[in-house]
Order: sequence, then structure tokens, then C-alpha cells
Amino acid sequence: MTAAVVRISAIARNTFVEAARNRAFVGLGVAAVGLVVSSMVLSGLALSDQQSRVLVDFGLFSIALLEVVIAIVLGVILVFKEIDRKTFYLVLPKPVHRHEVLAGKFAGLLGVLAVALVLMAAAWFASLASRDVEFKPDMAKALALVWMEAALVTSAAIFFSSFATPVMSGVFSLGVFLVGRNVAVLEELLAGTKGPLVHNPLARTIAETTVFVFPDLTRFGVGREVILGIPVGWDYVGAAALYCAGYCLFFGALASLVFRRREFL
Amino acid sequence: MDDAIVVEGLVKTFRTPLRRRKVEAVRSVSFRVGRGEIFGFLGPNGAGKTTTIKVLVGLVRPTAGRVTVLGGAPDDMGVKRRLGFLPEQPYFYDYLKPTELLDVFGALFGMSRAERRRVIPDLLDRVGLGAAKDRAIRKFSKGMQQRVGIAQALLNDPDLVILDEPMSGLDPIGRREVIDLIASLKARGKTVFFSSHILADVERLADRVVILDRGVMKASGTLPELLGQGTDEREVVLRAAPGSPDPASLPGVSRVEALSPGLVRAICPAGRSDPVLAAALAAGFAVVSVAERRMTLEELVVSHAAGAGPGGIGAGGTAGGAS
Ligand SMILES: Nc1ncnc2c1ncn2[C@@H]1O[C@H](COP(=O)(O)OP(=O)(O)OP(=O)(O)O)[C@@H](O)[C@H]1O
Ligand SMILES: [Mg+2]
Repeated sequence: MTAAVVRISAIARNTFVEAARNRAFVGLGVAAVGLVVSSMVLSGLALSDQQSRVLVDFGLFSIALLEVVIAIVLGVILVFKEIDRKTFYLVLPKPVHRHEVLAGKFAGLLGVLAVALVLMAAAWFASLASRDVEFKPDMAKALALVWMEAALVTSAAIFFSSFATPVMSGVFSLGVFLVGRNVAVLEELLAGTKGPLVHNPLARTIAETTVFVFPDLTRFGVGREVILGIPVGWDYVGAAALYCAGYCLFFGALASLVFRRREFL
Repeated sequence: MDDAIVVEGLVKTFRTPLRRRKVEAVRSVSFRVGRGEIFGFLGPNGAGKTTTIKVLVGLVRPTAGRVTVLGGAPDDMGVKRRLGFLPEQPYFYDYLKPTELLDVFGALFGMSRAERRRVIPDLLDRVGLGAAKDRAIRKFSKGMQQRVGIAQALLNDPDLVILDEPMSGLDPIGRREVIDLIASLKARGKTVFFSSHILADVERLADRVVILDRGVMKASGTLPELLGQGTDEREVVLRAAPGSPDPASLPGVSRVEALSPGLVRAICPAGRSDPVLAAALAAGFAVVSVAERRMTLEELVVSHAAGAGPGGIGAGGTAGGAS
């Protein structure tokens, strides 16, 4: 068990170093921070009486979006690169299980996402402070939830990269994100007594399957609560963490299954 | 004692999904590599050497047949722990320095931090990268990258080393060093399985060889078995003097090979060497050497690949089209 941890963390560290030494990825990170700052400035200019609300909302929104972009781009590219550049020829004959290699890549990406999150959060807090918006502990909880959402999307991106081309993997991962953000809407439609899903059995089955399979990413969005001052409890954050871990295991298990059978030509 | 590698009836067929065409890269290959042997794996481009090696290290699954490596399956963790592998044209995490790269791999081999710190600098010195260990691999020349590849194949002090074209890209000194390194592995009781196109090196090193052509085994055995204990021919190396005649016209000479300007090798039946020598001396040639004629490995490989077109270029074209 501990030997496995050593192997996974060696790969995780290497994945982190790979991202940190890649100019394009570092550029992406810098651009992300820049985007957070500029969106804060612009949103602050637009409205003055609801300024703090907009700042909080817009900041969280852009950070979440950029985290997901980083998750998809890195998740897809870093796995693809190993296969395409054949570094796996060196890694896989070593005494390491293929699922450990995937776990290591995933863990390394979680580290990259955490660093990106901290940098963007720092820019966000700085902008908030410059407008005298008070810091609330729930903001940190909201950021933790953003990180979980990105982690979930990363696990999906790794899964898709284990068999699909980078472009397709990117599209599929984006699909998980977009559908996941709207599963709650579908759920409401399914529960309702009116609307297109009530009388069309095919559409209803598709919608039900979608709700069943896709993660509900709105669980990771608490922007409204933070703005309105509704407390976000630790039990809520904990439940979301479990939900996230469950989906990561689900995608991880699928990726391992594909990967174990895969040949490296 | 059981063998280091057992390959039985190995078949590997690649399907190219777009053209719906099958490529039979390996068509039923069987051989055994004994422990402590240096084993050469030969054949023209596209013969199926790399494909066989990928099966041996678990990157590719056999279509049919069975392989056993160090008594186990290629993907067995215990087997992998005792295996070193150098792929053909290795690619590295080239943003790392060689020390960092070997550190990652050392961790995969379960080496402790202290062990890695002790072993890695020594190893880099051994492959001649002692002076370059603090530069990113990205900035290395081809030959230096090949040396990194050899270093990582030896990191775990493996019992079996599988090397796909270890000499490729190396300068004469590097080649010499790799030859010495492989010989020293054997001296320490390790098994070495390597493919190579540099037949002089194979002749120097290998206890036994297999020759493959277009996926089919053409020959296997020890070098004396394959090359024979000698032939019933003699070769006489002659240096021409100004005005000396065409050596092929000397009585008794069956054929002639040019070696370098002014130097020729005349081949004659064993019983005719004395008259040939006398005639050559009389015609003004200087005799450089007389020896029993032996087949070279190069001649053997070329003769087995004959019919494959010039050096198996046809097969090479397939390889290019498939990638
Ligand atoms: N991924 C692949 N898909 C389809 N065909 C392949 C693939 N890899 C190899 N082949 C085919 O299998 C055959 C054997 O290739 P292989 O790489 O094993 O040859 P080799 O003996 O290593 O040659 P070389 O000396 O050039 O390295 C070739 O005809 C090649 O085209
Ligand atoms: Mg090859």
C-alpha cells in the first residue's frame, strides 16, 4: 500500500513539474489571474450600488470557469502527450500499475488546480479588499467547492483521454461540464407536471438517464448563498466532497478499465 | 535452470482501422533466451523486432502464442522489478534533468530516497553523462539522450535487460562504451537481449542470435553454429602494385572482393591456396594475409533477407505508411 503511494506521488510530482515548467501552461495560469482581475475591475465599474454583490458573484463565476478550463486543457493534453510522445514506453514497463499511473496524473493535476485556485483567489480577495468588501469564511468554502468541481471535470477528462483523440476528449469533457451545470434544470422539468418531458416517453427516458449518469455540478456552486449571506455549512461541503470523490472514483475506474486493456503501439 | 525469456509461437497482427488491412508483424516466432546469455535479435527494417520486444515488456498483447519473461508474465510486478528496458528512439520527460528523471523512475522501482541519491550519480557517470546531469534533457544531443535511455534501463540493477537498438545514435566511443557495458553485465551474471543493425557489435557480443525477416524466423543459434566452423575456402588478401594484373584472372581464384583502393580479397578453394599465392607473387602482388574463410554475420543476415528487395526497403515503406 505505502509502496503504491510512493509510486503515485512520484508520478503526481512529475505531472506537477511538467505543468509548472511548461510555458504555455504557465501562460494560461497568468492569463487566468489577469482575467479575474480585469473582470473584477469591469464589473465594479458597471454598477455602483450593488457593487459588492456583483464583485463576489462575478469573481466566483470567473474563477470556477477558469478552473474548469484549466482542468479540461491539462487533463486532456497531459495524458495525450504521454501516449503521443511515447513516454509511456518508459513508464509502463516499470513496476507500476497502470491505474497508479492514472491516479498519479490525477493527483498531480489536483495540485496544479489548487495552485491556480490560490493565485486566482488571491487576485479576487485583493480586488474585494480594494473595494472594502468584507471577507467571509463562506467565500473560502465556495472556493473549495470550485476546486471539487474542477477535480470532477479533470477525472472525466482523463477518462476520455484514455481512448479518444484530444479534440474529442475536450469536447466530451466540456459536455460533462455543460450538462452537469444544467442537470438540476432537467430534474425540475422531470419533477414538474407540465413541460416537454411529461408526455414524451423517449425524451423522458433520455432525461432520466442523463440525470442519473451525469454529475449535478450545481452542488458545487454556492455563489448565491455567499451573496445573500445564507450560511454554507461544513456538512454541505462534506457531502459535496463525497459526491465529488464518488464521481472521481467512477471516472477513474472506467479509465483504468480502458487503460488496462490498451496497447501502446 | 529456467530461461530468462521464452517465446512460443508468437503471432502479432496489427489491424489498420482506416484501410482495413492487416499487417502481420510477427508470424509465429519461438525462441528461448537462457539466463546469463547475451542474445542478439537481428533482421532488416520492419522484420518485427520492435513488435516482439513490445510484447516482451507488456506494451502490446500477443495475437497468439505465449511469452514468459523471468518466469512470469510481462505485466507481473515482480517481473518488472527485475527488468530493464530501453525502447527504440526513447522519449523522455525532457523538461527534467537526467537526475530528476532517474529519481522519478527510481521511486517507481521502490528505491528509497537515500538509495536513489547514492545510485543515480554513479550511474550517470557510468554512461558518460556525469558532466551533463544538471541540464534539461531537452537540450541533449541524440547520443546523449540515448545514454539517458541506457541509464534508466540499468537503474534497478536488473537481472534481464532488453535493449532495442542500444547503439543507435552513439559515436564510436559511445558504442565502445555500450559494448563494454553489455559485456560487464554478462560478467555479473545478467541476461541481455538486444536488437541491433550493427552486426560487428552483435558478432562481438552475442552468445546466440535470432534472425527475423518479415515476421518469420530465418535462423537461430550460437554464432559458431550459424556461421559455421569455417568453410572449405581460403581468402588471400593482396596489395596490388602499379601495373599488376586483374587479380580475378589469377589461376585458381574463384572470386574477388575489393576492400580498399589497392587492396583486394581473393577467394579460392582450400586446396588451391598455394598455387594462387605463387601466381600472385609472380604477378607482383604483395600478400597481406591468408586465412580460412568464414561467413560473416552480415553475409548471413543479408542472405536471409535476400528477396526482400534492397535491404527490406519495401517493408520499411509499410512501416512509414502505418505510423
Ligand atoms: N502500430 C502499428 N500499426 C500497424 N503496423 C505496425 C505497427 N507497428 C509496426 N507495424 C508493422 O509491423 C512490422 C514490424 O515492425 P517492427 O517495428 O517490429 O520492425 P523492426 O524489426 O523493429 O524494424 P526496424 O529495424 O526498422 O526497427 C512492420 O511491417 C510495421 O509496418
Ligand atoms: Mg525496431
